[in-house]
Amino acid sequence: MATILKADNLEKIYRVGKVDVPALRGVSLAVQEGEFIAVMGPSGCGKSTMLHLLGGLLTPTKGRIVIDGEDLTAASDAKRTDIRRRKIGFVFQRFNLFPTLTAEGNLRLAERIHGKNGGDDPDRRREILRMLRLQDKMHHKPLELSGGEQQRVALARAVVNRPAIVLADEPTGNLDSENSELVLKMFRELNDRFNQTIIMITHNPEAAAACQRVIQMRDGHIV
Amino acid sequence: MDSLVVSNLRQRPLRSVISVIGVALGVALVMLFTGLAHGMSEDLQKRSSNVTAEIIFTRPGAIGFNTSSANLSTKYVELLKTIEGVESVTPVITYFYPSGQFGVDKVDGVEWESFSKMNNIRLIQGHAPNAPDEIVIDETKAARNHPVGSTLKVFGPGLYRVAGIYAPESGARAKMSLKSLQDLLESQDKCTFIYVKVKNPSDQVAVAKRIDAKFPGNKVQFTREVFASIESSIPGLTIFMRVLVGLAAIVSALVVMLAMHTTITERTREIGILKAMGASRFYIISEIEREALLISFLGLIVGFALAALAGFGIHKATGLIFQFGGWWALTAALIGLLGGALGALYPAARAANLDPVTALAYE
Repeated sequence: MATILKADNLEKIYRVGKVDVPALRGVSLAVQEGEFIAVMGPSGCGKSTMLHLLGGLLTPTKGRIVIDGEDLTAASDAKRTDIRRRKIGFVFQRFNLFPTLTAEGNLRLAERIHGKNGGDDPDRRREILRMLRLQDKMHHKPLELSGGEQQRVALARAVVNRPAIVLADEPTGNLDSENSELVLKMFRELNDRFNQTIIMITHNPEAAAACQRVIQMRDGHIV
Repeated sequence: MDSLVVSNLRQRPLRSVISVIGVALGVALVMLFTGLAHGMSEDLQKRSSNVTAEIIFTRPGAIGFNTSSANLSTKYVELLKTIEGVESVTPVITYFYPSGQFGVDKVDGVEWESFSKMNNIRLIQGHAPNAPDEIVIDETKAARNHPVGSTLKVFGPGLYRVAGIYAPESGARAKMSLKSLQDLLESQDKCTFIYVKVKNPSDQVAVAKRIDAKFPGNKVQFTREVFASIESSIPGLTIFMRVLVGLAAIVSALVVMLAMHTTITERTREIGILKAMGASRFYIISEIEREALLISFLGLIVGFALAALAGFGIHKATGLIFQFGGWWALTAALIGLLGGALGALYPAARAANLDPVTALAYE
């Protein structure tokens, strides 16, 4: 299996007023293609910071990140955005769907931003929605969907453009146990069927148990 | 249409409507003011072009845009007839008076026979004004519910009876007999100016020189120069209109800027999501600009409709003539669209530069 993500000695220091707050203190990570990884640790240990760095939403103070052969840290803001657009899909705890668009509209927006085929690949869209059991929910807006359905739409949006990696920040954090199980099942299915590489932050041991590897973090380090 | 731009406008209908109205007002103002100026100018020129006399003989300073005096002796009528090249002459008093409707109006006192013959004007109804309280009016004035036999307030305490209707329109819309106006103004044997028609129009310059040489100290002008457009008659009107157009553009831009600024503040997290999805700065700016342009475009449509309705209503109520020109419509359209696009640029640029992590955390 090829290494799809490599992070070397990542450090991130936030400047808060006159004080430097280190969020990451030298994190190194290698992720193989098709891996489903859970990242666990107490609040404030740097999990979200690491995820944001891996997704190119933040730049590290030190260190290097290479995603699918492209150096994220050496890239300009525009280039990082481009890498993120092509190679990364995000799933958030709060779903973060566009409330004014239907489920299908949210996916089409992702396609338009990606720019693939002029922004329209109905076959791929239908396949994803069918796999996530959302085919009857395509024309519903987020407010008309349950929490579990919204998160599945968010997951569909994240994978519709075939990203190299899906980064999920506590995707079951706002769901009840039943919907959590359903969403985790979908993550597993994506990983099994499409060999989708997934890095997921979670506090839920049951969610972590579904993963192939669990990374523990504490105080900005991987332990 | 499952479009982010359209759905965003529909999500806040009241704000969208207010933004559209803001742009529409700017567009409507430009159209109404320029339409009025153009309409009045065209109307004035149409009526002026029906004056066939080539030369106006008057005293210096006798004629202004909305002022005149009867200080020219009518003795010149017979004297001017003796000038080589002169075909006919006719005296006119032009009197401006305060009008309740739109500030100032005017009435001409004419010797109907010589005046109508010189300018090819005919009475299509009724008869020429004879009695002191009789006037004749043109078709435009008659169309505002003033048939022959009706009475009209012109100036002074009394009413005037409409004795006839004439065509085509020429000079003041209402005309009375020269003698009646002279008596009213206590200016017997006086007039404002004398129209001079030459035998050969190509000879008018030479005839004008002869008149000036024979009667120095007076003013000899060509009618084509006197009855100029409103724009050249009112100093600064063109500047006023340009300032108005500029202000309309600023109003449109400010309305859209405010609307977009509020929109972006409300949708900070959505912008963060777009950035997380890999939307480039250009994409974010273009989405916001598209929304602004849609508001501006709708404002344009509403503005044109508003201008047409208001123009029609004002014309019906006051008789003011509006003429909406294609060039000004294009200018108003550009103002609406450019104003909107420029107004949204700053909020769009701010949105594009938001830190994605901070934006995602925005409540």
